[in-house]
Amino acid sequence: MATETGRAARARAAKAMKGPLPDSETYTRLLVESVSDYAIFTLDTEGLVTTWNRGAERISGYRPGEIIGRHFSCLYPEDKIDVGFPEQELKTAATEGRFEDEGWRLRKDGSRYWANVITTPLRDPLGNLVGFGKVVRDLSQHQQATDRFRLIVESAPNAIVMANHEGLIVLVNSQTEQLFGYRRDELIGQSVEILVPAGVRGAHPGYRASFFADLKTRAMGAGRDLYGMHKDGREIPVEIGLNPLVTDEGSFVLASIIDITARKQAEETIARQAQEILEVSTPVVQVWEGIIAAPLIGTLDSQRTEQFMERLLQRIVETNSPVALVDITGVPTIDTQTGQHLIETVTAVRMLGAQVVLTGVRPALAQTLVHLGIDLSHVITRSSMSGGVRVALDILNLQVVSKNGKR
Amino acid sequence: MAADTISVIKLHDVLMVTVPPDPDDETVSALQERVLQTMERHEAKGLVLDISTVETLDSFFARTVVETVQMVALMGGRTVLAGMRPSVAITATQLGLTLGSALTALNVDRALDVLDGTHRLGDVSDDQ
Amino acid sequence: MTNERTGEVRIDSESDIVTARQIVRNTAIAMGFGVTDVTRIVTAASELTRNVFRYAGSGVMRWRMVNACEVLGLELTFEDYGPGIPDIKRAMEVGYTTKGGLGLGLPGAKRLMDELEIESEVGKGTRVTVKKWRR
Repeated sequence: MATETGRAARARAAKAMKGPLPDSETYTRLLVESVSDYAIFTLDTEGLVTTWNRGAERISGYRPGEIIGRHFSCLYPEDKIDVGFPEQELKTAATEGRFEDEGWRLRKDGSRYWANVITTPLRDPLGNLVGFGKVVRDLSQHQQATDRFRLIVESAPNAIVMANHEGLIVLVNSQTEQLFGYRRDELIGQSVEILVPAGVRGAHPGYRASFFADLKTRAMGAGRDLYGMHKDGREIPVEIGLNPLVTDEGSFVLASIIDITARKQAEETIARQAQEILEVSTPVVQVWEGIIAAPLIGTLDSQRTEQFMERLLQRIVETNSPVALVDITGVPTIDTQTGQHLIETVTAVRMLGAQVVLTGVRPALAQTLVHLGIDLSHVITRSSMSGGVRVALDILNLQVVSKNGKR
Repeated sequence: MAADTISVIKLHDVLMVTVPPDPDDETVSALQERVLQTMERHEAKGLVLDISTVETLDSFFARTVVETVQMVALMGGRTVLAGMRPSVAITATQLGLTLGSALTALNVDRALDVLDGTHRLGDVSDDQ
Repeated sequence: MTNERTGEVRIDSESDIVTARQIVRNTAIAMGFGVTDVTRIVTAASELTRNVFRYAGSGVMRWRMVNACEVLGLELTFEDYGPGIPDIKRAMEVGYTTKGGLGLGLPGAKRLMDELEIESEVGKGTRVTVKKWRR
C-alpha cells in the first residue's frame, strides 16, 4: 500500500466512494455532502484527504480542490503536529475502533478553533482497513455562545438563577449573591428550594414540575405575593419571571428575580397617602365637644359617598358626638343615587344614637332633592353652617339641661 | 341553654340587657321573653339594649327588637338601643331595616340619660 | 378552614344560620374585606340562609373565592329543592313576603352585595347566587 502513489490511492478511494452504489448509499452520500454544520470527510490509510463535504469547507475554509490529496495534519496546529498527534489519532482509531477528541484545530487562514473530532476506521467487507472517516464539530461557536451567555447573565441588573429540570441550581450571577446573601459556590449544585421560604418549600417542587410540563415564559405565582429567603432567614418580597431554556444538554429554567421591597413600601406609602388625601378632601373635624363637622366638597360619586358615610359614623363613635354637621355648600349637583346615599347616611347616624344637621342646602339644591323624590323631612336642615352650629348647640344644651335637671 | 346566656340587669327603674355578638335565633327569642318577664315583675320605665358588641343585625333580630319595643311600650316603658356599631348601622340602613319606636344612643351612659331626660334625642321612630 | 377556596354548609335547622354566618364572616375577614363589607356580606348571607330554611326547610350554602382580573371576590350560592319562587320580580320588591318575614331578604341582599342572580322554578327549587368584590 505504501507503494501506491497518492494520486492512485485517491482515485481508488474516490472510486470506492463514487462507483455504482445501491440507493441507500447514494442517499447517505448526498446527505453527507449537504450537511454544513458538521465537517465530514475521509482519509486514506496514509492520512491523505480523500473526500471533503460542505461542512468541512465551511468550518476549516479549504475548498475540496485545495485539500483533497493533502495530508490531514495540515488541519492541526503546529504543536500537535510536533508530537505526532495526527498519526496517533489514526492509530488509536484503527485499534480501538473509534477515537474522540476535543482540541484546537487550524483553519486555512491560520486561525484556531475548538473542535470536537471523531475518527473512525473504514473497512472493506473483508475487514481490511481502507481509510478513516472523520466527523468534526466546531465548538468555538458553542463556546462563544456559552461565554456570551454567561456575560449577559452576569451583567444583568436582576438576580438570575438558572436551574435544571431536577431543580438544582446550575448558574447564578453576582446580583443573586447580593440579594440572597450566599456565595456562588454555596448555591451551585444546591436545590433551588434553598432560596424559597420554609412555608412554601413543600409545595415548590410541584410548581417546578408543572412549569417543566408546560414550558413557556411567564411570571411566577401570578396574583400572589412572592417571597424569597435570605441566607439569614428573613423573607424578601420579590417578583420572578421564568424563562424556559431548552438546549441539547437538557431543559433549564432561567429565573429573573427582582427585589420589590422598595416598590412594596412605595405602594404602601402611596396607598396611605391616597387615603390621607381622601380624608383631607372630606375631613371630619370635631368643632366642639359633642359636635363634629364634615364639609362635603365636589361631586359625590357612589364610592366616595359610601366612604364618607363610613368615616363619619366612625368619627361619631370615636368622639362620642351626638351631632354631626354635614355641609353640602360645596356640592354643585346631586343625582338620585347620591341623594339616596345621603339619606342613608342620615338614617345610619340616627341608628347610632346621633343626629345629622344638614347645612348649606341652597334653594336650587333643595328643589333638585325634592324633584328626585328624596325625603328630607326627617332631617334638620339649615342654609348656612352657622345656623347649623346654633341648632347643634341647642340640641346639646338640651342634653345638659336634662342632666342638671335630674341632679 | 339560650335563655341562660341572657341576663337582664335592673338599674333603679330601668332594665338593661347586653346582647351577645352573634346571637342565634333562639337566643334572640329568649331575650325577648326574659325582658318581658322582668318588665312584668319590676314595672320598669325603660329598657336599654346594649348592642355594642353585636356584629350582625339581620331581619329576624330587627323584627324581634321591634316587637320587644312595642311590648315594652304597651307596658308603659321606652326602649333605647345603645352603642350600635357603624358597620352595623350602615348595613341595617342599606338592608332597609327600621327599628320601630326604639330610641338610640351612642352608648349605655347616654341611653340612661335619654331615659331620664325629657327630650327625645336620636329618635328614629317611625311615628314622628 | 380559611385556607380553602371553597366550601359547603348544609342548612337544615335554625342553628345552621349562625354556622353559615360564622363561616362567611371568617372567610370574608381572611380575604381582607373591610369591616363594613364583612358586615354586609354576613348580613346578606344571614338573610338568604334564613330564606332557605323558612321556605324550603333545608338546603345548602356554598361559598367560593373567585378572581376576576386580579380582583378577589366572594361568591355565595344558596340552593334548595323547595317550592320555588313563582314571581321573582315581586320577590325582589321591598316588603313583599309570603311567610311573615320583613320582605327585605332578597332586595336587601341585592343592595348589600355587588351581584345577585336568582334561578327558580316552581315545584323544583331555588338557587340564589351573590357576589361581593373586594375593593
